Amino acid sequence: MKNNKLLPYLLVSPYLIHLMVFVAFPVIFSIYLTFNKWNIISPMEFIGFGNFLRVFQDALFFKALYNTLKFLIVHIPLQIIVALLLAEILNQKIKFRPFFRAAFFLPVVVSGVVVSMLWQQLYGFDTGILNRMLSTLGFGKVGWLVDPNMAMVSIAVMATWKNVGLYVILFLVGLQTVPPQYYEAADLEGANHWQKFWHITLPMINPTIFMVVILSTIGGFSLFIEPYIMTGGGPLNSTLSAVLYIYKQAFTNYHMGYSATLGFFFAFIILLVVVVQKRFIEKGES
Amino acid sequence: MKNVVTKVNKSRIVLGLLVLFCSLLTSCDSARENDDNSLLYWSANDAQEVEFARQVISAWNKEHSEEQIQLQPVPEGQSSEEIILAAVVGKTTPDIYANMWQGDVEFFAQAKVLVPFDTLEGFLEFIYQRCDSALIKEITSSDGHIYQIPWKINPIMMIYNKQVVEKIGGIPRTYSEYFEACKKYQKDNDGDGYVDQWFGYTNVRPIWSELRFNFYLLYLAASDGASLVKNNQAVFNNKYALEVFRFFEELYAQNYFTQDRLASGQDPFLSGKIATKFTGPWEIAHLEKFKPEGFDYAYAPVPVPDDHQGPVYTYGDPKNIVIFNTCKNPLLAWRFLKFLISDENDLLFLKLSSQIPPRKDLLTNPLFVEVFTQNEKLAPFANQARYIKGVDSNEVIKEVFDIITQEYQSSVMYGVKSPEEALRDAAKAVDVLLLNM
Amino acid sequence: MKKLILYITLIIGSLAFIYPFYWMVTASLVPENEIESLTLLPHSISFNSYIQMFEKIPIGRAFFNSIFVATMVTGGVLVFCSMVGYALSRLRFVGRNLIFYIIIFTMTLPFQITLIPNYIIMVKLGWTDTFLALIVPYLINAFAIIMFRQVFQTIPQDLIDAARIDGCSELRIIFQILWPNIIPSLVTVGIITFMATWNEVLWPLIVIRDENLMTMPQLVTLFAVGGRAESQLGVKLASATILALPIVIAYLFFQKYFIQSMASAGMKE
Repeated sequence: MKNNKLLPYLLVSPYLIHLMVFVAFPVIFSIYLTFNKWNIISPMEFIGFGNFLRVFQDALFFKALYNTLKFLIVHIPLQIIVALLLAEILNQKIKFRPFFRAAFFLPVVVSGVVVSMLWQQLYGFDTGILNRMLSTLGFGKVGWLVDPNMAMVSIAVMATWKNVGLYVILFLVGLQTVPPQYYEAADLEGANHWQKFWHITLPMINPTIFMVVILSTIGGFSLFIEPYIMTGGGPLNSTLSAVLYIYKQAFTNYHMGYSATLGFFFAFIILLVVVVQKRFIEKGES
Repeated sequence: MKNVVTKVNKSRIVLGLLVLFCSLLTSCDSARENDDNSLLYWSANDAQEVEFARQVISAWNKEHSEEQIQLQPVPEGQSSEEIILAAVVGKTTPDIYANMWQGDVEFFAQAKVLVPFDTLEGFLEFIYQRCDSALIKEITSSDGHIYQIPWKINPIMMIYNKQVVEKIGGIPRTYSEYFEACKKYQKDNDGDGYVDQWFGYTNVRPIWSELRFNFYLLYLAASDGASLVKNNQAVFNNKYALEVFRFFEELYAQNYFTQDRLASGQDPFLSGKIATKFTGPWEIAHLEKFKPEGFDYAYAPVPVPDDHQGPVYTYGDPKNIVIFNTCKNPLLAWRFLKFLISDENDLLFLKLSSQIPPRKDLLTNPLFVEVFTQNEKLAPFANQARYIKGVDSNEVIKEVFDIITQEYQSSVMYGVKSPEEALRDAAKAVDVLLLNM
Repeated sequence: MKKLILYITLIIGSLAFIYPFYWMVTASLVPENEIESLTLLPHSISFNSYIQMFEKIPIGRAFFNSIFVATMVTGGVLVFCSMVGYALSRLRFVGRNLIFYIIIFTMTLPFQITLIPNYIIMVKLGWTDTFLALIVPYLINAFAIIMFRQVFQTIPQDLIDAARIDGCSELRIIFQILWPNIIPSLVTVGIITFMATWNEVLWPLIVIRDENLMTMPQLVTLFAVGGRAESQLGVKLASATILALPIVIAYLFFQKYFIQSMASAGMKE
């Protein structure tokens, strides 16, 4: 009976320890690091706001932000449209639904490494399936991963391919929560499919759409293994993502202080974007 | 319910044992077997170097039973520099490391983890006998000490397909001649509207390390070994760099070089897809193994601008030997290294691995002359070894290369900027970088 | 008619998701020079790519490493997070709500800010190039805690009271009494954790340099990006196929659980 007082704290202790060591301390240490210059093997050197100033002068930092924005502009709408379309179809009376669902979901469980290596080949300029198909059909070849304007778009399309299955499932769940009476009432009023979709379905699955947007945004800022494998950040840094840039500064150049500063800035921007998105969508709802 | 107690306790015990097991695993891997007197020597991990190290070390150990050397090939990993850094961080550095790229040394020297050789008795006389003074100046750190022994170089030259070059009318020496050759060899073999045969090729990945084998290589040749940075400033924005940029710009604009990655399938040099390459002596072993009937090749110096006079310099890709300051007996290490780079062992190394020792007596010492006379493919390197350069001694030389690579690609391959603009932007960015160091 | 269009769309869609994997597997099974011209059916089968791959990289070792790490992490998450979830849902104590809000808050913290400091902590603790670095940081998962807390809230109090009267300690209650009643949640958290850990590649790339300790996705990544495959495409694709195989096999058998897990996870967000 007397350990009852301590017991809850004992049970929660794993979390608290983990929190201190892997969350709280790193955040504080991160802030401390941003004021220092350090390459791991030499002693740390205090440089005040040097890292901050450097970020603002850093063309690559802004390039990474621009690239992420480009990624999101292609990825999010594509994701929503394709996932919603497939979910709508699957929501009808369809046979073999489990098979289709499983097919769409397959890329979700497979490692990003596999998907990146695979698509790197599909996108190959001379030997990739896509360009070979285009050639046979009489079109010119596209520089999917070698054209600086195209590369990030190609990665965005691939990211959509990889994740859309998850969102199909989520949308399906959302679609199935719409009470059938609404549709029946609309039918009675002579509404066609499109009207039903726009006025009943969409508002009801708004929370799901919102979730897709938030998750995809966070995903866009976390992009790493895809550009790392497929393009190394090129061509011309057009696929340099936020995390890839942090990684390069930390583990190719060994600028620990500067990369911590970059992490800090990117994290701040992510939070800002998510908050703005939340406000925007909540306003839309009301 | 009582037996349930033991069940839960058991699983806790199992969990605890597993964690213990893990930590044992970790300490096992990093434990270094090191008795007090023996020194640990890390070699590169390709087969020939390991074999060379094995032979030299067993010869030494036979004569020096009290002062043994232990051999270990450098652990596998992504890049050897990463491995060394991980070793420094984890305090598992060897005593001697014999594969450090010259450009990495300054970084570790500044971090004070290397032993300065010039403080070891007899080093300076030895080194001035072995290498010429230009090379010695190159390897001297910014604090005046020397932290590396020049051990081996792989001068980069232009390998060419003899048949093709004969048909074309001779080895191209200048940029204009090279363009002529490119025009003649360019062809669309399978009639699909796309060129599939080029006179030459260089790797197109936007990675700093590749720059050494295209821009930097030709920059050294054009400028007779000029520096990229000096006195913490960018000094490469000059007419030589501009000529090199323009050379590559033209190559890509006319599709004399392809922008694709020539990757999958066969070796493009052997299959005739390309007729020249900028490569080192290591290619010889590979070609001898796989070349088809009737295929012949040779090496020539890389092309230079039309108005260039004098010998052609090149990039030597130097790898050197360092001693870490965790070594308890640097003098012993030095004595062993003197043995490692003695005449006989340098000769053995040359024979085993085709990598050139950077000695100034390569053309006069009969031991070496014999090797080059016997191996005609290797012969051009003997002369070229007199005109090589590594990289400038600078802590962040890799980042300098990275900055230039980005500008090089944006101008030469993508035509986004003119070469003048690109070089100017590169120099500016490098100055900002060096200022913040 | 309309149904026909729907089916065609679905079939085209399914093909779009399956064909690339099919291509990858067949490309890994044909001789190197055939890959360029491969579309549907291979002309000849060759295991050469796989043989070369096994020779070049310690893929078996990496497989073991991944299994070991993923199992340890999943086990740890199930155990520790249910402990925390239980305390937060069924026990009254000061700070209970505070901790819950902290958990929610930290879930929103982007990892970009803790990535580098966590690496440095690993360095300082001497955990780089050890399994500890791969396992310990992942033993607590905010999402799992939330899920367990939620599901424990639905357990009827009588069950717990009865166990207490019998003299069970709290830990026994969690693992012996409650766990059998929340199998779906266990499966959900288990599958998601296992899959996420298995596929995790950025963190291993940062903390592990020793090839003997690399996880499977990490090894394949370095193999693809580094020079060791000597630009032999078939070998790279073989390694990618082998990497995909375990999860795909698990998926084919436990498909329903995978999909249900992710779906319910998504809904809880």
